[in-house]
Parts: sequence; structure tokens; C-alpha cells
Amino acid sequence: MTFFDYESAPFPIRADIAEAHRSYWEKLPRPGSWWTGAERVAIAAESRNAPTCRLCLARKQALSPEAVAGEHDCGEGLPATAVDAAHRIVMDQGRITRRYIENNVAAGLSKEAYVELVGIVVAVLSIDEFHRGLGLPLERLPAPEAGEISRYRPAMLSEDTGFVPMVPVEGSVGNEADLWPGGLTANVVRALTLVPDAMRDWRAIAAVQYLAFDRMRNFGQDETRAIDRMQIELIAGRVSAVNECFY
Amino acid sequence: MLRVSAMQNATEIDLQAINGDADGAAVGIEFGRELMRFAESVASRDEALDQHRQALLEAAGPAVLVDAAAVAANFQRMVRIADSVGIPVDNMSNELGQQVRAELGIERFPSAGNSVAA
Repeated sequence: MTFFDYESAPFPIRADIAEAHRSYWEKLPRPGSWWTGAERVAIAAESRNAPTCRLCLARKQALSPEAVAGEHDCGEGLPATAVDAAHRIVMDQGRITRRYIENNVAAGLSKEAYVELVGIVVAVLSIDEFHRGLGLPLERLPAPEAGEISRYRPAMLSEDTGFVPMVPVEGSVGNEADLWPGGLTANVVRALTLVPDAMRDWRAIAAVQYLAFDRMRNFGQDETRAIDRMQIELIAGRVSAVNECFY
Repeated sequence: MLRVSAMQNATEIDLQAINGDADGAAVGIEFGRELMRFAESVASRDEALDQHRQALLEAAGPAVLVDAAAVAANFQRMVRIADSVGIPVDNMSNELGQQVRAELGIERFPSAGNSVAA
């Protein structure tokens, strides 16, 4: 059975969107850099469990998320720190702090594993949100695949910004040469580069859901889109404001 | 980016659309009111999503709806990437950026601390 068969959708879905979603679903169940295939699929499941998690809903209403104790409504196969991180990224990302991440490191969730987890949570979320926005059912999660994790770390890393190490602006060389060809980048592009495949995965989805990097400077009408750049940025801005995102 | 794209297209817009002003969203942007309300419903997970999806579909058609859903979904991801690793705004001293942030009053957001304190 094919994933993301949009033939039965009530609206025509662009073929490039289907291809990108399908491509991510092929990568999701494979061993990653720091999580096994089974763990990656379990992280994806937590991305879906978070919006209805009673602890997360209670924390969302509290002055501080630490003020509410309890257990998450979650599945199996992940350490508690990973479940908590996945749920917070979906439900309360604006209150994630450096101290929270450092405490997780002390509890065994490395920054590398955290960054790969962020990448999985947000990739699955963005695909699921596309479905929810259109009133489509969520795609079933793929079956995990066996194999060894790579433990890959980029050769060049810096801790000049944010809560986790990132490939520096001048670090798009060697195995990372494809990250920002031409040397132009931004903090949000660098954000997940501690695990380069996490960045590559969101970039591929963003290219169809939003714009490809090489089209970002086109402020006119992109011939592959039904909405113009002002309409695109109105949506982007309103979603960011509702999420209280300063960046 | 909305302000920049409006300037590039020599179009007058009302930035308060970003803060949920439906009348502002209609200034200079085709289907602005419907797009803004649809985006708001996706992001806030409110019960009006079905209603706002239908309104956008009837006003603008299925191709616009699909692309709007894709952009909204994309930014549900991007805001979480930015905040979950605490990245600051790339250039806080940019004058246009400062104007936009002041106009929108977004320094009240908890994640502003990632940039203001940096």
C-alpha cells in the first residue's frame, strides 16, 4: 500500500507535496544518527500524542510548566526525558530553555539525540498539520526498520548561538557542503545541523510546503504556487504569532 | 517578511493582520481575511477550523486552500525549530525588523528572551 495516496482527497494535492511527504516517510523508520528506527517511529507517535496529553494541556495553562507534575499520556519505547521533550516541542515550545536542555543532558538525553528528536517531531508535525488543515485523516506511521545508528557528528561545530552546537556559517564544507551552497545561511537554517540529516529533512519538506531556499528572494508570484508571496507571508506571520514565536 | 514582500510589490498592507485583525488582513492582500482566519485556526487548533477552511475554499478555490494549508503546516514546524533550540533573531539591529517588532509588540513572547538577552 502506498503512503500519501492523495487521489481520494477532496482537493487536488500537488504532486511535489505528495512526493516529499512520501520521501520523509521512507526515511522516518530507518536508523538515524542517534535513534533506532523503532525509537524514531516512537518519537513520531509522541508528536501525535502531545496535543491530547492531559499533562501537557494542564502545563500549557500554568505560569510555569514545572509547576505541574504528572505523567504524560504516551506510548512505549522511549525514555521519559524524550517523551517530555517531544511533547513540549509540540505543545509549549516557547518556554523551552537552555536549563531544560542541560537538565535533560544530565538525565541522559544528549544534545545530539535531542536535536534529532526535534527534527522528527517537527517533520511529522508539519505533515500532520497539512492533513489536519485540509480535514484529511493522518497517514499511518511506517513500520520500524532494523539497523545500527550512525552516531554521525559534523566535523565543524560551534556553540556561538542557541542552546545546542551548530555547524558554523563557514562550516558548510566536506560532508556538509550541501547545507547552504554559496555561503548564505541563517540561524534557523543552522538550528538542527548538529544532526545534518535533520536539517536536510525539514529543508526538503519546506521546499514544497513553503519555498525552496533558492526561491526565497523571489517576492513575486512563484509559478508553482496558487498564492503570491504576500499571501504566503500573511499565513506564516499569523501562525508564528499564534505560537508566540519571536524569531 | 510580509512587510518586505509588500514593499517589493509596492503594495500597502496592514501589519496588524499578523496579530489577528481581520479587517487589516483584507488590506492589499487578496483573500487576506480568509487566509488569516484559516491560518489562525490551524495554529490555535480551535473549533472553527472546519468553518474557516470552507470559507477559504468558497472564496478562493481548492488550489489556494491546499497551498495555504501547506504554508500553515510549514510554520507550525518552523516556530518549533526556532524555539526548541533557542536561536536568536539573526540581526536584531536591522531597522525594518525593529520597526516591525515594535509595531506588533511581540517582545511580550517568552521566546523573545532568546534574542533580547543575546
